Amino acid sequence: MKALRHRFPSAFFIILALALLVFGGNSALVVARIRSEIVNFFVPVLDIASRPIELANNFVDWTRQVAIVFSDNERLRAENRQLRQAQITASQLAIDNQRLKKLLNVGAGRVNIIAAARVVADSDSPFFKSVLINRGTRDGVKKGQAIINEDGIVGRVINVGSSSSRVLLVTDINSRIPVKLAANGINMILEGDNSPFPKLAFLPIGKKPAIGDLVLTSGYGMVFPHDLPVGQVVKIDKDGIRVKLSAKLYNLNYVTAVKYEIIRSPVGANDDGKPGR
Amino acid sequence: MTGLDRRTDGRAERGLRGLLPVITTLLLLLLMQLQYRLAFLDNLFPFLSLIAVYYWCIFKPGLMPVSLVFLLGLLQDILSGGPLGMTALLFILVRIFVIRQGRRFLEREFLFNWLGFIMVSLAFGLATWVIASLYLKEMQNIWNVLGQSIMTIALFPLVVWALGLVRDLLVDDNR
Repeated sequence: MKALRHRFPSAFFIILALALLVFGGNSALVVARIRSEIVNFFVPVLDIASRPIELANNFVDWTRQVAIVFSDNERLRAENRQLRQAQITASQLAIDNQRLKKLLNVGAGRVNIIAAARVVADSDSPFFKSVLINRGTRDGVKKGQAIINEDGIVGRVINVGSSSSRVLLVTDINSRIPVKLAANGINMILEGDNSPFPKLAFLPIGKKPAIGDLVLTSGYGMVFPHDLPVGQVVKIDKDGIRVKLSAKLYNLNYVTAVKYEIIRSPVGANDDGKPGR
Repeated sequence: MTGLDRRTDGRAERGLRGLLPVITTLLLLLLMQLQYRLAFLDNLFPFLSLIAVYYWCIFKPGLMPVSLVFLLGLLQDILSGGPLGMTALLFILVRIFVIRQGRRFLEREFLFNWLGFIMVSLAFGLATWVIASLYLKEMQNIWNVLGQSIMTIALFPLVVWALGLVRDLLVDDNR
């Protein structure tokens, strides 16, 4: 080791690091492959190491739930009554919707669930927002697939190894997701900027959302299925329109990789899907 | 108890114990990757492996050769998804700084040691901010990185205490 050290002084490693920094981007296929294989090796270790944190987190959740069980029960009963009413209306609307879609010959989207995965690591960096999941090509996960959880969208797969994948979170500066406002269907792009509240961009002139408006995926770009919850508009100022995400990206446990396909109808109606990033 | 009164190089501590500095740095590096499920930590998680690299370069530089420092930095970049080579480069610069500054000065007093680390941590944060801003071609939020540096500085005594326990094992080895 000592001989090696003398032969290769610090300067050599500095140049090597600089070369990697300049030429070793993820676009270089070999680099990406080596990278994901090394990640593959460490994912089982991280998986085991993250279990105690999950356990502690579950315990905190459990005590919190026990503390509010009575007030929650009261609230849920009331909510249940309302939901029963809403369910009747919804089923009527669903039948109506199906009939109208058939009339219009709209191409139906099909969502294929690829794999359920556990989040084992988090980049925890102020500049790069990504997580590692313990599923890879072996489980059918592919680059570009959407990652969602029970609350809403999480991100998309940017790097895949045989048994692990890296997911670019929607808050990352490189993330762009086609979304729409639930109230009026205006299409926009959700832009990450490394802050916890991504921005809405490419708003049509003259249109302005209001605080509290719900944001859903639009399904354009063919990555995310349409109408998945994204979040809620929480702030509008000269800096932009900020969205609070439905999914808590700092507290991810299990996520699902999904693949979205449109079954093209022969007379493709309403089909202006732009290619996604 | 410095253990450096006699020259303690890798040779005197060969065997598995000689790997302790690398193993502890690796452990801290892996700890950094875990998800702690706390919203405020998301941007401010302390850079634990920096503390270990700084510490071992002062007290056991023979067991922390530049090649291993490079590999540890590279692994950090690979696991965290950042630009490849960024942490590797900065870790090497930290090592050069420590060696040039004279380890004997830094190891004498904990307070000197900590003051040295405050400088290193702030410079490290600033450098990551510059590299990330260049890499992403967009100015990044400097407050987050400052927060991360301050968190790292705050956690320094605790990590150093834990690493000190490990170092005692190495000192015993030099009988």
